[in-house]
Amino acid sequence: MLDARFIPLVFKQVIRHRTRSALTMGGVATVMFLFIAIQTIQDGVRRATERSSRDATLIVFRENRYCPATSRLPQRYEERIAGIPGVVDVIPMQIVVNNCRASLDVVTFRGVRPRDLDALAAHWECVEGSMDAWLKRSDAALVGEVLARRRGLSAGDAFDSSGVSVVVAGIIRSTQPQDQNVAYVHLEFLQRSALRAGVGEVTQFEVRVEDPSRIEEVAKAIDAEFSTDVEPTATRPEKEFVARAARDVMEMVGFTRWLALGCLAAAVALVANSVVLSVRDRVREHAVLQTLGFRSGLIARLIVGESFLLALMGGAVGAVGAFALVQFGNFSLSVEGLSIGIRPELRSILFGWLVSGAAGLIAGLAPALRASRREIAACFRAV
Amino acid sequence: MSLIECRALTKVYRKGSQQITPLRDLDLDVDAGDFLALMGPSGSGKTTLLNLISGIDRPTSGSLRVDGVELSGMSRSRLADWRARHVGYIFQLYHLVPVLTAYENVELPLLLQRMPRRERHNRVAAALDLVGIADRHNHFPRQLSGGQEQRVAIARAIVTDPTIIVADEPTGDLDRESARAVMELLRGLSTETGKTLIMVTHDPACASFARRTLHLDKGRLVESAAARTPVLREEAL
Repeated sequence: MLDARFIPLVFKQVIRHRTRSALTMGGVATVMFLFIAIQTIQDGVRRATERSSRDATLIVFRENRYCPATSRLPQRYEERIAGIPGVVDVIPMQIVVNNCRASLDVVTFRGVRPRDLDALAAHWECVEGSMDAWLKRSDAALVGEVLARRRGLSAGDAFDSSGVSVVVAGIIRSTQPQDQNVAYVHLEFLQRSALRAGVGEVTQFEVRVEDPSRIEEVAKAIDAEFSTDVEPTATRPEKEFVARAARDVMEMVGFTRWLALGCLAAAVALVANSVVLSVRDRVREHAVLQTLGFRSGLIARLIVGESFLLALMGGAVGAVGAFALVQFGNFSLSVEGLSIGIRPELRSILFGWLVSGAAGLIAGLAPALRASRREIAACFRAV
Repeated sequence: MSLIECRALTKVYRKGSQQITPLRDLDLDVDAGDFLALMGPSGSGKTTLLNLISGIDRPTSGSLRVDGVELSGMSRSRLADWRARHVGYIFQLYHLVPVLTAYENVELPLLLQRMPRRERHNRVAAALDLVGIADRHNHFPRQLSGGQEQRVAIARAIVTDPTIIVADEPTGDLDRESARAVMELLRGLSTETGKTLIMVTHDPACASFARRTLHLDKGRLVESAAARTPVLREEAL
């Protein structure tokens, strides 16, 4: 550790070597921006797909179908599902998306019955407009906050996507990532829209179970109920359903781990390069400090301190940049109508920032060790 | 007893495949309060001797005692601690840290000593005042003339109140006027504070400010002479 008396010295070296520090910090900020952005995407995927013991929602989909456009289940299944022991309620849902593939700008319409709105709205807060306005108008839509911001929508605006024209009745804020990027419309309205399945058909059922520990058991019972029907079902816990649908995205995001590691390596190389050059330029200065009585270990700690500070300051700039981008960019990864929300998490930002500091420490070690081993007289002879 | 005692002092180092012996079996005594000038041609071993006495280099063989402490066997760390307490070093090219102000440069050696900030400030202010550069305390080295930089370097050398002050061609990079001012400052330190000063110089005019002058050639002392007519020779500066 560096004694507090020497910390101002480290600060002065970093701040007063303006050009070197600005260039190094700029480089570190760029790679740490990428690192933290990747971390944030990975966190979003983890949040959307990692199951917990409290999960109590099942999604009933058509067996062997993966896209909402091809999953068609009779709406009358609702009563039979509701009769299965352990089921609390069942919400039939029609889903229409403008793009079935992975995309950053997917508009998902979810058709629900007015009487199911209260159950869905448990996680919502209407930040603009009202749910009453939605109930009063058949072509009304309650739009998720992220989608509204991305499309610049306000209450009262009309918008059109995938041939479905709606009027925004309200903007909703939700704790659930799936609600942030969708437009809730009336089920019958969506079923009657051009090119959709007719009334009496839905894309999926959202089923809430009484006991989360029995969720698998209930899923099996639902699939068994319809196994001999014309339209058999495949029932999975919601997060597993998202994980299956977003498998391609998850593989891609998994690959980004390597990119994150690459960013870290780049940060270490960048700072190390800057410190090596700086130490080489300051051979005489370090020899002078040693002449004054600075021990070689102290010189090494000063160099590591500079490296650490450069990386930490660059990392802070990168972290703020990544936070701003994710916070104000309103991104979400959508695939097959499911959304993976990308929002900044303080934990990830802090982690990224600390990692940048660690990269600085590692980067400073080799040049510090080298500088501390030099003989003073040899340094004066060499320059 | 002498403050500095060198006995059979030898320094050998390698430069590529070449073995160089800048000092060979040198014996030397320097009393406390002495102002000694070391002269000699390039490569005669002046700077090497200065480096050994100031503890920034270690002899290959022989004995070197300063104020009763044997330096030749000390570890690097102990030698660093010893330098911090006992040596003030003045370089030919000043060697101030460019990103630090005059005040911060003078404060540097005091950071190694645990003392209250207030005392540190008082000592730095006194040292800057003594060398006549207090009004430039906030200037960076690039904003100072060569003579002013050397004054700051002298303040840095004396701020810890060291046992010995060593100077390696302290006027080598200065114009005549600045050189004279620096030499008068060093002589003042010697006469008024009783500090022991050892100075390497090529310039007889500078050497004339010293109380005695030693000549080195090929790593050995070749003569020792007191400066007889300092006033006349000082005028050459």
